[in-house]
Amino acid sequence: MIGPNSIIKGEIAGDEDIVIEGRVEGIINLHGNQVSIGESGNVRADIHARVIKIDGTIIGDMCASENVMISKSGNVSGNIVAPRVTLEDGAIFKGSIDMDPAGIASKEVPGTSQPLTHSAASHMASPGLDLKSV
Amino acid sequence: MQTHLDSTQPLQKSSRQPSKLLPSSFRYIDKRELATVLHIGPALSETVDFFSDYRCKVHFVDLFSALPIACGEHTTASLEQQVEQVLTFPSDTRFDICLFWDLFNYLNSDAIGAFLTVLRPHLKTNTLAHAFSVHNLKIPHPRHVYGIEQLDTLSVRARCTAPPEYAPHSQNQLRQLLYCFKLERSVLLTDSRLELLLRATL
Repeated sequence: MIGPNSIIKGEIAGDEDIVIEGRVEGIINLHGNQVSIGESGNVRADIHARVIKIDGTIIGDMCASENVMISKSGNVSGNIVAPRVTLEDGAIFKGSIDMDPAGIASKEVPGTSQPLTHSAASHMASPGLDLKSV
Repeated sequence: MQTHLDSTQPLQKSSRQPSKLLPSSFRYIDKRELATVLHIGPALSETVDFFSDYRCKVHFVDLFSALPIACGEHTTASLEQQVEQVLTFPSDTRFDICLFWDLFNYLNSDAIGAFLTVLRPHLKTNTLAHAFSVHNLKIPHPRHVYGIEQLDTLSVRARCTAPPEYAPHSQNQLRQLLYCFKLERSVLLTDSRLELLLRATL
């Protein structure tokens, strides 16, 4: 878990689920795992994961192999590629949703941290890669 | 720019409205083929659920949050520049369906021209579009947000805050202003609004 008072700039990669209650800027590559952004979480990053659950705020593109869930407190600005997306009433979403299961493999670059094209997060200044958690 | 018109003012509970023309706007869509959709307005949960049955890419663009599209003291940007700031698609994007809902009731003729100039490169010869207009220009401001429950059923929610510059056009005016669309069919609704089916003419 990344606590509400933590700030991480760089790439997060690994093989376990993560809960973000703090601030993350960069890239999150947890291809086989779940990324949860808590209500206090503030993420400016592209995310590759199996499941992405958003209760907080994110600016960035997301690619999930299973599904993306945006709760009523979620505020999302970015593009989503996932076979299943759920949006609760009250959630704020700005961007595109690509629900083409067959096309997901070709849109994700396996084994790399390469972000999707037209990334929302890449529009911000590049963060310094000062942390890599594996 | 504010990203969401109603971000601090939740939409009210939805009601349902049958749609005679929405099914026609999906007539070229094969669920096995990837479809690209433009949805003008905030993303609602039921709309996202609806599209999960399709192979599709849906671009949700809340142009209402950028209203008014107008030149004046508040901006030095041209009308096209104002629209381009909101309609940001990859250059190879071509829409199969455009869901305009009641957007044209909030754009004056110049703004509609600017909107179409920006949108036109992303249309195809068989792009179909759905929109609402009015039969009677004096009908009260509807202040609706639309979603899709089923192919023939819309969800309609009331906005807590009305978008600015409500100035609907007559059907004849709209037919002339929408120069890259042909009006295929219109249906008069009980509250003197019109449901429109448009087809791109490139």
